[in-house]
Amino acid sequence: METGPIYRIEAVTKVYRGDVDVHALRGVDLEIEAGEFLVLLGPSGSGKSTLVNILGGLDTASGGHVFFRGDDITGLGERELTRYRRDHVGFVFQFYNLVPSLTALENVALVTEIARDPMEPGAALELAGLPAGRHDHFPAQLSGGEQQRVAIARAIAKKPEVLLCDEPTGALDSRTGIRVLEALESINRQFGTTVLVITHNVAVGGMADRVIHFADGRVARIERNETREAPASIAW
Amino acid sequence: MRMSALDAKLLRDLARLWAQVGAIALVMAAGVMTLVLSVGAQRSLFETRAAYYERNAFADIFAAATRAPEALHERIAALPGVAAVETRIRENAVLDIEGMVEPAAGMLVSVPDDGVEVMNRLHVRSGRLPSPGHPDEVVVNEPFAAAHGFAPGDAFGAVINGRKRQLQIVGTALSPEFIYVVTDLMPDDRRLGVVWMSRAALEAAFDLKGAFNSVSVRLLRDQPAAPVIDGLDRLLESYGGRGAHGRADQQSHAFLDSELNGLKAMSYVLPPIFLLVAAFLVNMILSRLIALEREQIGLMKAVGYSGASVAWHYMKLVIVIALIGVALGLVAGTLMGRGLARLYGEFFHFPFLIFRVSVDIYVLAVAVSVGAAALGALRAVRAAAALPPAVAMRPPSPPRYRRLFSGGLPFAPHLPRTMVMIGRNLVRRPLRALFTTLGIALSVAMLVGSLFTFDSIEVLIDSTFFGSERQHATIGFVHKQPAAALYEIERLPGVLVAEPARNVAARIRNGPVERRLAITGKPAGSELSRLMDVEGREISMPEEGVALTAALARILGTGRGGSVEIELMEERRETVPVPVSAVVESYIGLGAYMEISALNRLMREGDYISAVHVTLDPALTDELYAAVKALPMVGSIGLQRVAVQNFRATMAENLLMTMSVLVGLAAIIAFGVVYNGARIQLSEQGRELASLRVLGFTRAEVSWILLGELALLTMLAMPLGWALGHAMAIAMVEGQATELIRIPLVIERATYARASAVVLAASILSALIVRRRIDRLNLVEVLKTRE
Repeated sequence: METGPIYRIEAVTKVYRGDVDVHALRGVDLEIEAGEFLVLLGPSGSGKSTLVNILGGLDTASGGHVFFRGDDITGLGERELTRYRRDHVGFVFQFYNLVPSLTALENVALVTEIARDPMEPGAALELAGLPAGRHDHFPAQLSGGEQQRVAIARAIAKKPEVLLCDEPTGALDSRTGIRVLEALESINRQFGTTVLVITHNVAVGGMADRVIHFADGRVARIERNETREAPASIAW
Repeated sequence: MRMSALDAKLLRDLARLWAQVGAIALVMAAGVMTLVLSVGAQRSLFETRAAYYERNAFADIFAAATRAPEALHERIAALPGVAAVETRIRENAVLDIEGMVEPAAGMLVSVPDDGVEVMNRLHVRSGRLPSPGHPDEVVVNEPFAAAHGFAPGDAFGAVINGRKRQLQIVGTALSPEFIYVVTDLMPDDRRLGVVWMSRAALEAAFDLKGAFNSVSVRLLRDQPAAPVIDGLDRLLESYGGRGAHGRADQQSHAFLDSELNGLKAMSYVLPPIFLLVAAFLVNMILSRLIALEREQIGLMKAVGYSGASVAWHYMKLVIVIALIGVALGLVAGTLMGRGLARLYGEFFHFPFLIFRVSVDIYVLAVAVSVGAAALGALRAVRAAAALPPAVAMRPPSPPRYRRLFSGGLPFAPHLPRTMVMIGRNLVRRPLRALFTTLGIALSVAMLVGSLFTFDSIEVLIDSTFFGSERQHATIGFVHKQPAAALYEIERLPGVLVAEPARNVAARIRNGPVERRLAITGKPAGSELSRLMDVEGREISMPEEGVALTAALARILGTGRGGSVEIELMEERRETVPVPVSAVVESYIGLGAYMEISALNRLMREGDYISAVHVTLDPALTDELYAAVKALPMVGSIGLQRVAVQNFRATMAENLLMTMSVLVGLAAIIAFGVVYNGARIQLSEQGRELASLRVLGFTRAEVSWILLGELALLTMLAMPLGWALGHAMAIAMVEGQATELIRIPLVIERATYARASAVVLAASILSALIVRRRIDRLNLVEVLKTRE
């Protein structure tokens, strides 16, 4: 495993221009170590999603720099950003965004077909905790938790270096939510994948290496946990 | 008055959906336009012709004779049903025009010396009529004058009954009798002139003092033509009468009819195609709109709007779309109809044009278009009206997919998942896929079904002028000549091969069915003017019996081995039974052929010929033309090769114009179908596509998922379009076949390819427009919201 920060974030700002300019990020500096499990907390509009989107190559910064493994990704064009997402980043969202016309297995295969060194789609689903009997079901035939596990499997199947999760448990009940968090935790441990989780649930912070608190477009403070709690012990 | 909230929503929906609304309205407009255009132009031209005929007293019946005494005039006028009679002299001449190497054909027509034209009155465009005391004064038809830059005061040479004369132009005119004149089957204003001269001058030139050889008759109102035709035939029988006929057999009238009826075909074929496609598009867009507004519908109902008022709200949207289309179509159709009528009017040299607003067609267009749109909307609107509010406010149940193609396809076991997505989406909406395919296929069919005529005409030319009538020119004699005249022609400079022919006017009859035509005698084993059977093989002229063209055999209800009665209409006037010895192919006119000596025997005459077919040495044509102009026995010269060349040039121009109009129309359909299809799919699948982009799929890959489905349907539409186009072509060929001309059914591969290329280009263009929207998908926005 390489050492050194996987992301170095320097004075990143983001302004959404419009009738009224919205300053989503007002200068963020942060280093993220490879293999870290980070939880991002903060009220709505505090800038955490904006940062994650910039890290994931879905959005571009208005100022400052983001280095991924030493390479500046701030100036990349559309084509390079697509390549970057394809090769390095996995996403999990609150709404699972599965393809309704493909079964669970096929949804994962969709990604492994374009990845450089993917795992078997079935293995990815196992890893994310979807029982083998459900692999051939269409999203409409799966529960919310199951769909989210398919989404996680789809995100990890290409063995990304980073897994970015924006409110992955936001639409789930506590029991299902814990299962999903367990899946993320085990991927982080087994593969050393760097994981960033955005959440409103303060308790989730317990399972992180570090908890980044956002407020008003800035990093307000950073908490470091000496020991990571098991997801099962998180009070919902 | 304040606008209701629902109407405000309606307007905003229209503004938001402007591109899709516009595409549908365009398709409707094209349908309305083609309807109004073709019906309007056709009515305008038919009415103009009728008025022209009426104002200039176009005759109802025409007859020709060799030489009939003027005294017959009274007896013709006494026939029951006859309103007026005018006797004339009509002859042919070879014209020698300065600056024009090849000879032109002249049709000489007498004008009464008292200056009172009873019928077929000239519409004088410049100058005046010839004065009786001046035998060399002539009026020429305006198009001929225009082609040569002639004006009153100019002069040209003519060989009239073997005598070279210089004719003085004193006026130019138009005539309802010569709206459409052809030489060698092609209109050619330069090479064919109508020349009106004083009756006295023509009587002197053709030794017809106190006699006539042509007569026109106008009937009393509502009198049938047949008894008068019979009476005329009886009266003219002993004066070399060649059979009277009505307007239907008058060359100019018949050609005009066939041209104008072609316009009618357009009004039957095109508008239904456009309206069908428009109905489908309305259905597609409205179903999607209602699916998107499901919750709003639930809300409207929850606050107390009735199902009917919800239905009416959406129906109004559809009606507005239809009315936009109708308005565009009516304006464009009316303007273009006038333009087309003007174009035809100029082509036919009508002295005036009558336009009339066809209110009935406008009403029909509005009713049919709104009806088609409403029909297309019916299912979607009914579903919206029936939706219970509580159900409506919940999200719709997720679409069901079938586990198809998971093992790939037999020929592609490892189908990429993106292809699987395309396949399953297609199968989930089979009707939409079907109608999309059909819509695109119809635009291909429309092109194939109209552009094929150029292939067919090419084959017609090829078969007629390079298969059966291979002569470069035909030299016609003023009077029949002894067979030795052939050698005189053979000796002319530039003549390579010469073959004799004889034409005899006759009626050919089988039972009650009869046709008037010239029986053509050709020598057995002729090399230039040949007989081809229906398979296009040359057959030798049978020694005995008569060979009929397939069309004539069909009309007479006979065939090889049968028999027909031939009533000879020249000199020997007798009816003789003749066996049918062969059936041959010919696309132009009706023909009957006999071996030339057999025809002469039938006439109980020695070896006579009336024309010579020749092939020419191109280097010596000028010398030949000069010689022919000086040869007294020559009454006409047909230049088939020159005619074909001119015709091909005209065709090429027509192809370009027809092509550009049709390409536009086909593109409107293809654009409407593909653009709307892509927009609706984008609306349905936008989320999926955005999430794929997040997963690292490129814009191109994501576009392919969306557009691949349409690409697949477009591909499927090609063979279907070709088949439909072929069927349309069959219907066109059969529907437009007349006794004058039948076009063979020929569709070249290039025509299929051209049709497909046009439609593919339009489809790709519309896909590219939608592709720009895919490129602009906002990834973050889409992912953070629930559908």
